Amino acid sequence: MSQDGDQNQGVDLEEFLEFYLLDSQEQIERLGSGLLQLEKEGGNIGLINDLFRSAHSLKGASGTMGFTPIVALTHAAEDLLDRLRQGKIEVSLEMIDILLAVTDRVKAMLAQVGQRLEITLGFEDLVSSMRLLLNREEPDVSATDYAVQEEVLENYVPLDFSLTQPEREKVNDGSSLGRGVYQVDITLEPNTLMKAVRAVMATQRIEGMGTVIKLLPSVEELETGNAESFSMLIICDEPKEEIQRELLEISELVDVFVHPYQNFGGIEEPDKTFNVIDNVLGDEKIMPLPIPKAVVVPKESGKALSASTIEAPNGEGNTQVHTIRVDTARMDNLINLVGEMVITRTRLVQIGLDLKGQYSTDGTVNNLNEANVYLGRLMNDLQESVMRLRMVAIGTVFNRFPRLVRDLAKKTGKEIELILKGEDTELDKTVVEVIGDPLMHLIRNSVDHGIESPAESREAGKSEFGTITLNAYHEGNHIAILITDDGSGLDLDKIRQIAVSKSLIGEREELSERDIANLIFLPGFSTADVVTDISGRGVGMDVVKKALNSLGGMVDITTRKGKGSTFTIRLPLTLAIIQALLVEVGQEIYAVPLSSVLETLLVNREEIKTVGGLPMVQLRGNTLPLISLQEKFDLPTPETESSEVFVVVVGFGDKALGLIVDELRGQQEVVIKSLGDLLNNLPGIAGATILGDGKVTLILDIGSLIQDVLVTRSA
Amino acid sequence: MAEEQLVTFSLGNEEFGVDIMRVQEIIRIPPITRVPKASDYVEGVINLRGNVIPVISLRTRFGMERVEETDLSRIIVLQVQTKVFGIRVDAVTEVLRLESEAIEPPPPIALGMDAQFIRGVGKIGERLLILLDLDHIMGGEASHDVSA
Repeated sequence: MSQDGDQNQGVDLEEFLEFYLLDSQEQIERLGSGLLQLEKEGGNIGLINDLFRSAHSLKGASGTMGFTPIVALTHAAEDLLDRLRQGKIEVSLEMIDILLAVTDRVKAMLAQVGQRLEITLGFEDLVSSMRLLLNREEPDVSATDYAVQEEVLENYVPLDFSLTQPEREKVNDGSSLGRGVYQVDITLEPNTLMKAVRAVMATQRIEGMGTVIKLLPSVEELETGNAESFSMLIICDEPKEEIQRELLEISELVDVFVHPYQNFGGIEEPDKTFNVIDNVLGDEKIMPLPIPKAVVVPKESGKALSASTIEAPNGEGNTQVHTIRVDTARMDNLINLVGEMVITRTRLVQIGLDLKGQYSTDGTVNNLNEANVYLGRLMNDLQESVMRLRMVAIGTVFNRFPRLVRDLAKKTGKEIELILKGEDTELDKTVVEVIGDPLMHLIRNSVDHGIESPAESREAGKSEFGTITLNAYHEGNHIAILITDDGSGLDLDKIRQIAVSKSLIGEREELSERDIANLIFLPGFSTADVVTDISGRGVGMDVVKKALNSLGGMVDITTRKGKGSTFTIRLPLTLAIIQALLVEVGQEIYAVPLSSVLETLLVNREEIKTVGGLPMVQLRGNTLPLISLQEKFDLPTPETESSEVFVVVVGFGDKALGLIVDELRGQQEVVIKSLGDLLNNLPGIAGATILGDGKVTLILDIGSLIQDVLVTRSA
Repeated sequence: MAEEQLVTFSLGNEEFGVDIMRVQEIIRIPPITRVPKASDYVEGVINLRGNVIPVISLRTRFGMERVEETDLSRIIVLQVQTKVFGIRVDAVTEVLRLESEAIEPPPPIALGMDAQFIRGVGKIGERLLILLDLDHIMGGEASHDVSA
């Protein structure tokens, strides 16, 4: 698995690999976000120093582990950053792009390392683009005549790309799958500086649509030589014209010719193909795979490491860190154990109470119950401590969005600023792990549909900069996450039209603006006229809603025409152990998360009025919608109905709903268990728990119950 | 691979077999908690030493009528890929070995039940053993059942 296994003999790499991966991932995240900041703020020396240090320690660690490709990349990046910090070169968009590409590549390499695979990704292209940036002060002078080659490129001749075995397999796979295999011949403007960069840009464009198998001449040769043209072998599903159009968008490319490449059939016979080259290029031999030049020998990296220790600025780096890294699996195990203990304690309490019923005068029973109470307190403390261990700042999720927004903005040609607030807000690891995707979807949506193009903003008399704000804060037992954009706001008339046309609502129905806005969360709803690459693709907002509901949360939207929209997400702080109110409905018991219980009422059946077929009750002057759990969950109607029922008022924010139940059974701590793949996504059920008597009880999904009622009431 | 080891069980007059490698354990019927809005063949969930697992009524799955629980009723806990679930059966009969040659493909009109659940029919003398295709018992249509 290691590239330089020999050098590390006797050292158990596996033992260090986890630590290496964790640390490197952190460094690469830091590099990525730092680069974005650099792009925004320009040459801030402190920032550049930070970036340099990140690149440096990444290089050092990778060198120790023997991951040569990562060393090569980070070494070149480090050089670039070093020049930058010495003020020898300026920050440019190009540089940021390349460095970001480096972080992406290293991330992908780390992923391979993480899967215990060999690093197969290349690094030569990026290394040479970085070298090129470094050397841009010293432009190449030698002007050789490449007329022969140019002529060749204009009249299509299949080139030999000296493919390696895996590359050949890729090409053969691609063509057998019916994908297009093309040779792309590109001619550059005469005297183009940084030809290699053009080649890299062309490569990147193609990577957006397909795969580049090989570049000829290689980036390095392009960089040093003076070729006015180059060729690529690509696999791509797009038509020729599309590839050509895409590439011609790159400046300084004069001619782009795309030819279906047929030569790969003969690739396996080297003799034949060599003949072709010989015919084409005469004596000029084409190099096989470029030999990496930027390989760092471990000795050097060791030297650099000690250098940096001396270099390290005073005061920084000397502070002792009082943290340890723990594998999340161990942590999860701990939580599970605590969960089991909570269940067992509940059983003990139950047994104690039963014994007390039988032997009320026995002192031992009283002692048992006292011990139980004390155990309960300890359990609470233990549980709280363990839960605190798992609290993670939401910043870890937020941090990936600046890059996302930047890339999306580039793609859509919009000017967007992303503002992050409340990154320190802590919430449980289980929640942090799963909110990334819904948030990403909402942000994509905001970029795509919310933020206007610069022209549109100008027309609306707003700044050309669109702003998206991501804000998180605690709200009682919940965390609220707000995604606000200052774009055009939702087109409520259009939403209404679509909803009517899809018969999601009646034509004359009277709905508040907010109700209309929330229609976008209905399944099968899409306002985009065109399905775009960014948020289209048929995945609707209903998926976001469902995902959040399954976490026991909910999402709401407010919008003002011309001013923008705000999506508000509310989530419970933890998904592991919660306080729950147990309620009885018929013969069954359900658990209601206490965090969403506002109050409980005893209501006379006569007070329940039916409005439009749905039950309601007046509560302090407001109408409270009700649902009967007995009806909702298809329980048999009891023969005799009591004159009074209990109503559990549940809600988030300003939305409330009353659940009609038969009895309240008191509150209890419950450990949330998943119902598993086979039974997830049931409406109204968030999970299950095991009570003290060993029976399984279902936990209600308040978010989805409320959202269901809102939808049925407005539909 | 010339031989298969099977756990056999009965539903009414029919006898069935499942691959022993898929069987995690066989338990008596514990209290079962009904799960509202789940597919009708999902009898509910049970507590298996701290884990919540679903239980399927094979009778309902195969369109047979329900019966009262008896002393012989059992839940066979199965693991199919990563999923653990129980199937409720009338009685577990035995563990036996079956030659591969004794297994025939399912008959076209499969004994009045959905052919997708049947992997084949095993013959032991005069006895006919219906071999279940476990991948389809819980999966398959479950996804659209939920969305309906």
